Amino acid sequence: MSRTLNKEPTAEPAVLRAADPPEAAPPGRAAPGLGRFLLRRPGLVLAALVAAAVVLAAFWPDLFTSRDPLTGVPAQRFSAPGGAHWFGTDELGRDVFARMVHGAALSMRATLIAVALAFVGGGLVGLVAGFVGGRVEGVLMRAVDVVLSIPALFLSLALVTALGYGTVKVAVAVGVASVATFARVMRAEVLKVRQAVYVEAARSCGARWYTVLARHVLPNAAGPVVVLATLDFGTAILAVSSLSFLGYGAPPPAPEWGTVIAGGRNYLANAWWLTVLPGAVIAATVLAANRIARALDGEWARRR
Amino acid sequence: MTPTPQRRPALAVPALTALALALGACGSGDGGAASGAPVAGGTLTFAVGSDAGCVDPQQVGSNDTIYSTRQLVDSLTDQDPATGKIVPWLATSFEVNKAATEFTFHLRPGVTFSDGSPLTAQVVKDNFDAVPKLGARAVLSTQYLAGYAGTDVVDEHTARVRFKQPNAQFLQASSTFSLGLVSSASTRRTPEQRCTQGVAGSGPFTLASYVPNQAITLAKRKGYGWGSSLWKKTGEAYLDRLVFKIVPESGVRTGSLQSGQVDAIGSVGRADEAALKGAGVRLLSRANPGLVFNVGLNNSRPLFRDPNVRRAILAAIDRRQIADTVFPTGTRPATSVLAHTTPGYADLGTLLAADRARAAALLDGAGWKPGPDGIRAKDGAKLSFAVSWAPVAATNQPALELVQQQLKAVGVQVELKQIQVAQLTRLQQSGDYDALFGNLTRADPDILRGTFSTKGANTYKLAPSALDGLLDRQAATLDADERAGYVKQAQETLVRDAYVAPVVELQTELGVAKKVHDLDFEASSRVQLHDTWIG
Amino acid sequence: MRRYVIRRVAQAVGVLWAAYTVVFLVLDYLPGDPVAAMAGQGDQTAVDPAQLDRLRARYGFDKPVLVQYLDYLGRAVRGDFGDSVATGRPVTGMLAAAVPQTLQVTVAGMALAVLFGGGLAVLATYTRRRWLRSLLLSLPPLGVSVPVFWTGLLLVELFSFRLHVFPAFGDDGPRGLVLPAVALAILPGAMIAQVLAKSLLDTLDEPYAQTARAKGAGRARVHLRHALRNAALPALTVAGVLVGQLMANSVVIETVFSRNGVGRLTASAVTAQDIPVVQGVVVFAALVFVLVNLAVDLVYPLLDPRIAGAAAR
Repeated sequence: MSRTLNKEPTAEPAVLRAADPPEAAPPGRAAPGLGRFLLRRPGLVLAALVAAAVVLAAFWPDLFTSRDPLTGVPAQRFSAPGGAHWFGTDELGRDVFARMVHGAALSMRATLIAVALAFVGGGLVGLVAGFVGGRVEGVLMRAVDVVLSIPALFLSLALVTALGYGTVKVAVAVGVASVATFARVMRAEVLKVRQAVYVEAARSCGARWYTVLARHVLPNAAGPVVVLATLDFGTAILAVSSLSFLGYGAPPPAPEWGTVIAGGRNYLANAWWLTVLPGAVIAATVLAANRIARALDGEWARRR
Repeated sequence: MTPTPQRRPALAVPALTALALALGACGSGDGGAASGAPVAGGTLTFAVGSDAGCVDPQQVGSNDTIYSTRQLVDSLTDQDPATGKIVPWLATSFEVNKAATEFTFHLRPGVTFSDGSPLTAQVVKDNFDAVPKLGARAVLSTQYLAGYAGTDVVDEHTARVRFKQPNAQFLQASSTFSLGLVSSASTRRTPEQRCTQGVAGSGPFTLASYVPNQAITLAKRKGYGWGSSLWKKTGEAYLDRLVFKIVPESGVRTGSLQSGQVDAIGSVGRADEAALKGAGVRLLSRANPGLVFNVGLNNSRPLFRDPNVRRAILAAIDRRQIADTVFPTGTRPATSVLAHTTPGYADLGTLLAADRARAAALLDGAGWKPGPDGIRAKDGAKLSFAVSWAPVAATNQPALELVQQQLKAVGVQVELKQIQVAQLTRLQQSGDYDALFGNLTRADPDILRGTFSTKGANTYKLAPSALDGLLDRQAATLDADERAGYVKQAQETLVRDAYVAPVVELQTELGVAKKVHDLDFEASSRVQLHDTWIG
Repeated sequence: MRRYVIRRVAQAVGVLWAAYTVVFLVLDYLPGDPVAAMAGQGDQTAVDPAQLDRLRARYGFDKPVLVQYLDYLGRAVRGDFGDSVATGRPVTGMLAAAVPQTLQVTVAGMALAVLFGGGLAVLATYTRRRWLRSLLLSLPPLGVSVPVFWTGLLLVELFSFRLHVFPAFGDDGPRGLVLPAVALAILPGAMIAQVLAKSLLDTLDEPYAQTARAKGAGRARVHLRHALRNAALPALTVAGVLVGQLMANSVVIETVFSRNGVGRLTASAVTAQDIPVVQGVVVFAALVFVLVNLAVDLVYPLLDPRIAGAAAR
């Protein structure tokens, strides 16, 4: 019975592969170089550029804007987008572009925390379950099943209720909610690797369990989990921004991406740019993250 | 001075109450001059921002809910918006004794509640006897009846309300929705039942349905014929139905009014004025008397025990910038703790001028030195506090963000802590906050006593001081000039010692579609919808 | 087969019980003091101690955790999640009042998702025009990337405020349902399109499809009658995921459109730290999720003989 393994199909490699653009070269040809690979995929190049811009903005926002994201010029409030303010200004005359640029650090930090938590936490659970096996595995995987039975956002919301508001707390809530997915994938990989010939060989040669684990199982099983982590980025950005949109992120004036849009909602009728443009930034970032993850997951791997 | 009480102790809830202060009330709308003859029938859809979770007018204080619940009940008296005079409504006449401790109301015969029971003196007694037991939620009505000694049923249609001490404000209080009468059966229900299931009032509309956080629907009361002596129309209301939709987003309210999905909206902000006017919407605005919007400091917190820290906060706030950036056109920056439309108001604008240098000097003097991140610190502790606020009006957050910026400029860190309007009373009573943002509308300076006296609510946790004596004296003084003197001194003390940081006056603005006529502010600035018609 | 059904149902019940336990642990036992959270601001403790004790007694927090847990579990089994801290109303009643609104919008959203996602997949795999195919296939990745609150706001901006076609808020009448349903349909629609397109392509490569074509069956006929029928099965397996996503997004969408459903109930309960309501809602979400997965597990073998055989073992 093929029960759905993932709560987030966007994070499921097979699902995404289905949508691979069919223009991908038929397999079997001589492996082209990276340049040729990219040349055939302008979308991927664009995605890489977007991702690079977001990362740069997160670390060096001053590269993009010299304006203050927190203090505006009240007299210039509600300026429509233009040369002076690319994304216009908000109700206090703050530059929305500057807010998004500076918000990238907050939103990316939350995303990183969430993904890292899911990766490390889920990876550990999966590793232990797969490697130790037996009763431990049974208990752990039952627990994973249970956590998977609560839709991720609801689990995050319960955690936010318990933990309180803030960027890091939201990140933790999102991360914990996807631990189970990672645990599943990790365990499956560990099981696969454990039965592989070279592991059996290492064992029979008298290698200690931790040597086997560190030398053979971990490096070989980690690959798919890393891929899952890259796929999880897009999902995490969406989850984090949804929670901050609902008002559970950092308090004002912090320009978390979801918060910026939530604030702009108050002026939806007459200042469209306060919601439309920041939303487009989030969508572009998620799209880029997903596109890159897909490339890492399938296309490039298959090229080799 | 005529004692004209009007209380709105609902913090951070933009309250409307322009008492009859015709001079202070500025209307940018035309008041809905009728074009043609009024038409009966139709439904008015009114979008409000929040739901107080209660449809009992005696218990709610939130303006968004008062728009609807006011229509459910009639009051003993009404107040003329033009003169401030108290006029008959359910009481055809009334007398007050010299000491202002006894109020006799002669009730109009033939009035019935929506459950069919008649209005008698016993009903008045049942109402006022029940009010003090309504509990925490009924802040307004219980304060009006402070010192309540009892009600005598003189005869079937004569009730005498007695107080232990002079309570001159009570006559005006009897004109408010908070003391609007409900049937005796309704008074016997628990406060929770009254909140969720509503009450049987004698008003021009009855509660048809209440879906929390969604809508409050009212239907015309058939056979209604005991309206206020101030109303234009006698008998039943024009409109068949009133639907109050709860739409939390001000952007959605504005857009829906522009697109015609709703007919009227509450709390319009400056941001939407131009677009609404462009869409042919009338804007009605009215300045509210009472306590201005202020950052109410919790004076029991160690940080705020130092008066110079408080004074520095007052000096750092640029009120003009906030009023001009966020609030509706015509909103005045605070020039006292009281709004300029409040009787006894004293202009202390010079004490409330923005002065960054002074703020910095005061903080330097108090030992708070700028740290590397620009935030001042003393003994390793940062100069930081949280302001709790409820998102009941779209203006609250931008106003506070400006306060936050202005305080940051002098090295004070402000954290904005959003809470739900339903949590507000609880938070205030628990005292577990650094500062609260809000206002209180009331057209009587006695609001100062209610708010700041350590014998009263003491919302901002002041320590006992000479201020208490001043506040008591103004309450016991009947001579208007003498009382105004005490009130002025109290305001000066409050501003000089900076117990709260006044920001701006509240001016409430409603947006009303052109097709809606005669939707007006009543004396206490709630809307009166009996005379309203659509055509 | 009967043993399979019994096993599945038992598993579902077990998972649900465990899910309740997880929620209980997270909310009532994790960090902090739920009573302080209820009474005031959560992480501060200057609240009146007597009031706290009263609340503790009322919610049973003065008892040992295990007693509390069993007490709560016993009541939850009977459908009683206690009273909301914010409104004082029973949680079950609040949920019951909210469910119809959410049901309307999620069912409408799901219908749209199946219609458009399925249509897109069929068209994309059927067409011989490469540009059309790549255009169509580039849509689902877009659909899973846009934040649902953003699409919701865009729809309001465009169709309510500019074109005045549909109302921007409210839950009365089918017209008010259109925009939220469309906003909700995008993500599941994209997911259906992805799964179905892949599955269709795989199926078309299967020998029987080629055989059918070789026998002279029309392309459309093979595509729709043979391939789609078989390809729809894998798509069914993601039904649980889709429902989970729909519920999650309904929290956001109901907030955007001011609809009074389970989602908005959840959001406001979280804001008010109304623990009994959050608990009820999360367990409800788990219940729905588990039921849908159970239904899929039970129905799937009936449709796919290969699995049915395996399950009967």
